[in-house]
Amino acid sequence: MPNHAITPHSRITAAQSEKVAKTQLNYLSITLVTTFICLLSFFCALSYGAADISFSDVWQSFFPEQTKETGFIDRIIWELRMPRAILAFLAGCGLAISGLILQTVTRNPLADPYLFGISSGASLGVVMLITFTGGMFTGLAPIAAFIGSLLAMVMLMLIAGRRQSQQVESMLLAGVALSFLFSSITNLLLYHTDPQAVTAVLFWTLGSFSRAQWENLLFPTIVISVCITIMLAYRRQLNAMLLGDESATTLGINVNRFRLIMLLLSSLITATLVSMCGGIGFVGLMIPHIVRFFISQGSMYGILLTALVGGIFMLWVDILSRTVLENQELPVGVITAATGSLFFLTLLYFRKNRPN
Amino acid sequence: MSKASHTTSKSLLTAEHLTWCTDGNVILDDINLAVNHQSFTGILGPNGAGKSSLLRCLYRFVKPEQGVVRFDNQDIWQLHANDYAKHVAVVLQEAPSHFNLTVYDVVALGLIPHKGLFSTANKSDEEKIAQAITQVGLTHKVQQSFEHLSGGEKQRALIARAIVQSPKLLLMDEPTSHLDVRYQIQIMELVKSLGITVIASFHDLNLASAMCDNLMVLNQGKLVVQGTPQEVITAKMLSDVFGVCAHVEQHPQHNVPHISYYYGYKQDDTHSGDEHA
Repeated sequence: MPNHAITPHSRITAAQSEKVAKTQLNYLSITLVTTFICLLSFFCALSYGAADISFSDVWQSFFPEQTKETGFIDRIIWELRMPRAILAFLAGCGLAISGLILQTVTRNPLADPYLFGISSGASLGVVMLITFTGGMFTGLAPIAAFIGSLLAMVMLMLIAGRRQSQQVESMLLAGVALSFLFSSITNLLLYHTDPQAVTAVLFWTLGSFSRAQWENLLFPTIVISVCITIMLAYRRQLNAMLLGDESATTLGINVNRFRLIMLLLSSLITATLVSMCGGIGFVGLMIPHIVRFFISQGSMYGILLTALVGGIFMLWVDILSRTVLENQELPVGVITAATGSLFFLTLLYFRKNRPN
Repeated sequence: MSKASHTTSKSLLTAEHLTWCTDGNVILDDINLAVNHQSFTGILGPNGAGKSSLLRCLYRFVKPEQGVVRFDNQDIWQLHANDYAKHVAVVLQEAPSHFNLTVYDVVALGLIPHKGLFSTANKSDEEKIAQAITQVGLTHKVQQSFEHLSGGEKQRALIARAIVQSPKLLLMDEPTSHLDVRYQIQIMELVKSLGITVIASFHDLNLASAMCDNLMVLNQGKLVVQGTPQEVITAKMLSDVFGVCAHVEQHPQHNVPHISYYYGYKQDDTHSGDEHA
């Protein structure tokens, strides 16, 4: 039987590769524009704040030999705002890609480190460290957070991983339940701690970049760049996971091991960030969605843009948190939760009302 | 009835004494089969007969309790998963939703078994992808979201992915169910035109009869009949395995068995002749 719909034409192939090349160019330009916005946001983050510093002052502080003014402005920029802006950027990047990993390997577009109980696991780890050592934050906080988030992840795998085929759905439910469980234990611990520590811990759990210092930045920078590199290396495997476990298996991927590695990466990022900036929710949910709206998640640019947009978003959240209230800092987590939950509801609304 | 197939060197894929149970239920029961190079094999059977489970054993997703599956005379579980994927491609019905992968991205997944971690797609890979997309007639949709394709187009995109994988063997789990008749024929002819060995499960017996060189009928986990469509598609088999009354005749175009089903029959068996359609 003749079949007219499927007939190869070499000229169509040429037109098609042109189309593909054009898309690549588009993605490249989007990435460049985003990078520019990112640099601009950094400038704003250095300029806005309790002490108003002009753009030109910020610019000049990059070239110390030209500044004849007081070192005061330089010190604000380099000792306070710069590390803080970098931490905010890192947190945004990290949470966004952590969310992207979770959404991809669980094939759940609503996945988020917060929603899966990984953040609360990490928080519990840190709060336990504080209560049992009775001390302030120590260098052990990231380790405690990682142990906590691993605990959350292991429990999640044990509960959900029993039956391979149902992993995706039960994982989400288990995650939400675990999140409540860990929060309640955290609250119980806090209830028995002395009030002064409680205030500090509470402020920390709501999310803040105020503890940013140059010497603290190296560790999260390494963790996040290593994770992004690994994701770029495994980007094809990540895409294959979206087609389903069986399809991914038939492409030669050891699905369970791959998922485990990716979930470990995700919890490592989450733990690192929670131990430094506390619980910041919904970034991991929002940013991948926004990026996915514009470009295909499958391309290499998808991962890079998710990280960049996450960083930009967090820079602005931080700027807001420092400038909205006079002489007072709004917890970052409050702003992300407010925007995030609105975003979440909008998403649910449109998803429900979307034809087909 | 089936006889134990003998492993011959000309078979691309063989299974011997394949048995698989879950939770005490026997899903596959001592299955022996051999699939020859360049042949098109159809797996038939009523719902729950074990068609998908058999395919799962063949594409290395579940490890059978007993028995061995050999590809090119090698136990598939001795092969590395990635090496097996270089030779065997699978088209399933799973599809991603809510994720913005383009048709191009989905087709490019076929490169995975052939590519190292940091390697980017080179010129010949790009050509391979473009060729496959042209072959399935999706050129105009190359940058569209996979999610927004119709069922037939999705299936074609997945076949293009399998083409990029450049396999010797293509396994398909009910590739045409939920598709319009036109697409059923289109997809089957597309697959036939690839000139590789194909094993596919079917719901539509007439389609299977028209397309396959070889048919295997499963019933309650057992391989009950196998052979050419002429040997397999008989009124007796249809009543024994599928529990329907039917009349089998020759298809006017290609002389393979063609089934007409009888409707409205009851438990008493007078020569049930009341057709409605």
